[in-house]
Amino acid sequence: MTTQFKVLERNYPRVDAYEKVTGRATYASDVYLPGMLACKLLPSTRSHARIVRLDTSKAASHPGVRCVVTGTDFPDFRFGSGALRDRYVMPREVVNFVGEPIAAVAADDEAAAQEAIELIEVEYEDLPAVVNPLSAIGSGAATVHPELENYEGYGFTLGHNVSTLLDADRGDVDQAFRDADVVVEDVYRSQGINQGFLEPMACVADVEPNGRLVIYASTQGPYQIRAALASVLEIPVSRIRVVAMELGGGFGAKLRLAFEAFPALLAMKTGRPVKLVNTREEVFTMNGPRLPVTNYIRSGVMQDGTIVAREAYTIFDVGAYLGAGPNSGIGHGIGAYRVPNFRLRSYGVYTNKIYVGSYRASGVADMTFAVESHMDRIAHELGIDPYDLRVKNALREGDVSVSGAVVPTNGLMNTLEAIREKIDWPRDLEDGHGVGLALCEWRSGSGPSTAAISVNDDGTVSLLTGSVDISGSDTSLAAIAAEALGIPMENVVVSKRDTDQAPYTGQSGGSRIVYSQGTAVQRAAENTVEKLTALAAERLGLPEDALGCEDGRIYVMDNEPQGLTFAQLAAASITSRGGPIIGTASLSSMPYTPVFAAQAAEVKVDRATGQVKVLRYIQAQDVGTAINPMAVEGQLDGGVVQGIGRALTEDQQFDPETGAVRNPSFASYLMPLAIDLPELENVLINVPAPDGPFGARAVAEPPGFGPPAAIANAVYDAVGVRIKELPLSGERVLAALNGQNAEIDFDVDALRRAEGVAAD
Amino acid sequence: MARFDYLEPHSLDEALGMLEKHGARARLVAGSTDFLVRWRTGVWRPEIVVCMQHVPGLDGLQFNDDDGLSIGAMVTVQDIEQNDIVRTRYPALAAGATAFAGVQVRNLATAVGNVCNASPAGDTLPALLAYDAQCRIVNSNGERWAPLTEVFVGPGQTAVGAGEIMTELRLPTPPPNSGGLYIKHSPRGAMDISAVGAASVMSLASDGTCASVRIALGAVAPTPIRAFGAEGRLIGQVPTDENIAESARLAAQSSRPIADVRSGAEYRREIAQVLTERTLRHAALTALGDVPDFDDVRRLAVQTAW
Ligand SMILES: Cc1cc2nc3c(=O)[nH]c(=O)nc-3n(C[C@H](O)[C@H](O)[C@H](O)COP(=O)(O)OP(=O)(O)OC[C@H]3O[C@@H](n4cnc5c(N)ncnc54)[C@H](O)[C@@H]3O)c2cc1C
Repeated sequence: MTTQFKVLERNYPRVDAYEKVTGRATYASDVYLPGMLACKLLPSTRSHARIVRLDTSKAASHPGVRCVVTGTDFPDFRFGSGALRDRYVMPREVVNFVGEPIAAVAADDEAAAQEAIELIEVEYEDLPAVVNPLSAIGSGAATVHPELENYEGYGFTLGHNVSTLLDADRGDVDQAFRDADVVVEDVYRSQGINQGFLEPMACVADVEPNGRLVIYASTQGPYQIRAALASVLEIPVSRIRVVAMELGGGFGAKLRLAFEAFPALLAMKTGRPVKLVNTREEVFTMNGPRLPVTNYIRSGVMQDGTIVAREAYTIFDVGAYLGAGPNSGIGHGIGAYRVPNFRLRSYGVYTNKIYVGSYRASGVADMTFAVESHMDRIAHELGIDPYDLRVKNALREGDVSVSGAVVPTNGLMNTLEAIREKIDWPRDLEDGHGVGLALCEWRSGSGPSTAAISVNDDGTVSLLTGSVDISGSDTSLAAIAAEALGIPMENVVVSKRDTDQAPYTGQSGGSRIVYSQGTAVQRAAENTVEKLTALAAERLGLPEDALGCEDGRIYVMDNEPQGLTFAQLAAASITSRGGPIIGTASLSSMPYTPVFAAQAAEVKVDRATGQVKVLRYIQAQDVGTAINPMAVEGQLDGGVVQGIGRALTEDQQFDPETGAVRNPSFASYLMPLAIDLPELENVLINVPAPDGPFGARAVAEPPGFGPPAAIANAVYDAVGVRIKELPLSGERVLAALNGQNAEIDFDVDALRRAEGVAAD
Repeated sequence: MARFDYLEPHSLDEALGMLEKHGARARLVAGSTDFLVRWRTGVWRPEIVVCMQHVPGLDGLQFNDDDGLSIGAMVTVQDIEQNDIVRTRYPALAAGATAFAGVQVRNLATAVGNVCNASPAGDTLPALLAYDAQCRIVNSNGERWAPLTEVFVGPGQTAVGAGEIMTELRLPTPPPNSGGLYIKHSPRGAMDISAVGAASVMSLASDGTCASVRIALGAVAPTPIRAFGAEGRLIGQVPTDENIAESARLAAQSSRPIADVRSGAEYRREIAQVLTERTLRHAALTALGDVPDFDDVRRLAVQTAW
């Protein structure tokens, strides 16, 4: 690859490669402090019940036990993931799902803590529960939060079990449907999904002699944990220090407060450090996964394939608490297409299940499954090639996105073209084999970002940011700093950080680190260069604009051999007027930069068993400038693997009566293994983003969106059955092949009526 | 996560003595792959664990034409999978072993432990049934032999009593001109519990008719089962596609599957038929021919890779 860059667009190993491969990287569970206690949790066994009696006396007097806490030991304060505060950190009177922690024990060791947990006596009085969100939305169902309207941050009036209703409208939808030649209508359903990170939630809480609380956490958002802990424990933010340890995967599940408050309170009460490391069962039953999504989608289309109208009603099951909002329902209801008229509605509906959490662009994969399956349905309905239909309707530069932002220059068409070439579309395949397409869209993540760069004596720099490395992002940030400073990667030292040392920053999530934090790093580097140049100008007695910066030195443009190295300048800075050199930058948001990807799956279907095997998977994504192509491909591979799991085998199942998680284990929640995967083929399209560091776009989210639809479309191509429910298990495909492919029951008219929209 | 005392006997007698002494409070373990999972989740809470790792004489995997294959209690599933005699003479068992978990688990798990654990989905069990395995069971009063069909009593339940140890499985030498295969149906290609498993072992007479056949199914009844009716349909017949299909239909009919997180009951029955048909065809095809390449067997054994 020829490149204009000195550092970027090259493959280089991660800055933490040695720590990781030698096993020396320290995770939260590797923290051992003198006198440390072990914490265990008692889960609720009821889906909806009043706690009538919670007797911890036997547990408290069990040998080795130091402290037991229950919900009433915490301040009487509800917190939330967004504006709506619907959740106690530990329930005080009412449990809302099976698995909800209702007591925590700290003991000398885990065995004693577990024994004590089993000695806690609980008496419940069951309350009516509701598990199915489509029933919960109806008026006859039990109410999960009878007091919802009194909760802080409650701003919406549909009430009952609806936590949120979001809408997006454009044009005259009803007229457009009347004018359309053809109307295509579908209901899709996607399953519950666990994030499947390797490292269970873990943390150690300690109280410093001066009374400050220190939390060693496995988290994507140290500042967010600090803020949430401050509220639920009613102590000032300044009295808490959160140390973000190495993160063994999060994918959104560790964006917010998890269980840190339990060891924190136990540490405050005992004065001893307390460690909590969750078991995999606890990960599955206590920490929010994605919950099922039902998606009604209808399009008005002209004979030539032009989409003129779209209506989508999306029901997000949010479980017991609104752990992550249903924003994607309105944000992604039209996909990567220009649709002049739309009505999009997105409901968050409470049920008595584990609360919903975030996962790699929460809900967008569900939306993409519906939208991209629906695109193929339209194509087949009209007799148009699915590829051509996509090209015809795809967003172009200058179009207006759902959110109202103008679409800037992008590589969407290039991704489509690349896929077409790679698979040689259209293909005629043997019976039982098929190919399917999907388009994915996302935007580069924004949010508060900060960086500081200080120049060391030897001319190297130290880079300080507050963001947690979840995907090799430290390496990319180092590369951006190196490029902007004109020094090699090895000359950038990336500091490990905690909330006391590093400047405030947003969470590591939503594809925002390279794009937003990377921009802050680039600007901090530029600020550093300005300061170095000013100092050099002073020392050389030349105006600043006579100087350039390259290869770790400030030189005189008219006389390149003359100049000062960073090391010389660092030495000089100590006694200079301005003092030691430190460059900083802050920003709060970044302009809208879309990310597009086109994907294709080739499958074979075993007609006798219904099993689907993916033979090839190809993706082309516009990544803008590839900071580190190897790392970019790592993100693309990982995302597609998660998407293939979602398409074929992953299925978080819930008991229809109690809402309890039925498969809280990797033995029954089936993530794909190497043996299940084809060779993954990636094409990087490099249309530089107008904003973002050196033209880089976000990368991480979109790869996982496409596989369910691409594979479902390929299955249709292979054997002629349209599966509208995930996962595409052998059982489901075989049933469809046997003509037992039930449509999903969904009363969209009731929702339209509730809002006063005329049903037609 | 309950506490327990851990005992390591160094002879069979010592082990039997420990089991007798501690009775229901003790749990015997071999590879501990089932034990650790159940202990950690609190399903099994023994006060004493007796580990056979250091009992000598239990790790033999031997074959001779007269006695057939002998599998000692500490022989691992990986030992079986890697063994050339097993691959050539007992291909269905080799297939069962290769379809089992992943290498790390196979390196610990024992075949006898798979039997004693008596999961209806145990991957070595249909093949062991299809090779007519006999089990040697010892206790402090002596030993007895029991056919495997009589060892399985219910899910997780066997005829091996408290204080008894199964020391060996014995598989008679298959007749000449025989072939066999086990196929596992699971959504994932490895590290997955069978939704259905089927093993068929067939030998052909010189006139091309089926001289003997044994068909066994896993995960479609409270225990692994033999499909006797389906076998009867084939004996003495030429294994044509029609005869095999009919036999497979009968095999599926004899199943009594349940629905669980892995799959529905009706689907299990349908798959049992497909797998039986495929294993029978492969058995008939390979009975006279060369021993297939083991990499091919690997692919065939795991249904997702079919
Ligand atoms: C990650 C994982 C994946 C797995 N995948 C599979 C799979 O794909 N297919 C499959 O079939 N199984 C699978 N298993 C289950 C398990 O590995 C098997 O059942 C294994 O064969 C058990 O053997 P073991 O030696 O580990 O038995 P242990 O756990 O030591 O014992 C199991 C039971 O058998 C009893 N027992 C053991 N040996 C004797 C003996 N000699 N006499 C009397 N009783 C005895 C024990 O008391 C105990 O009740 C898996 C397990 C794990 C943890």
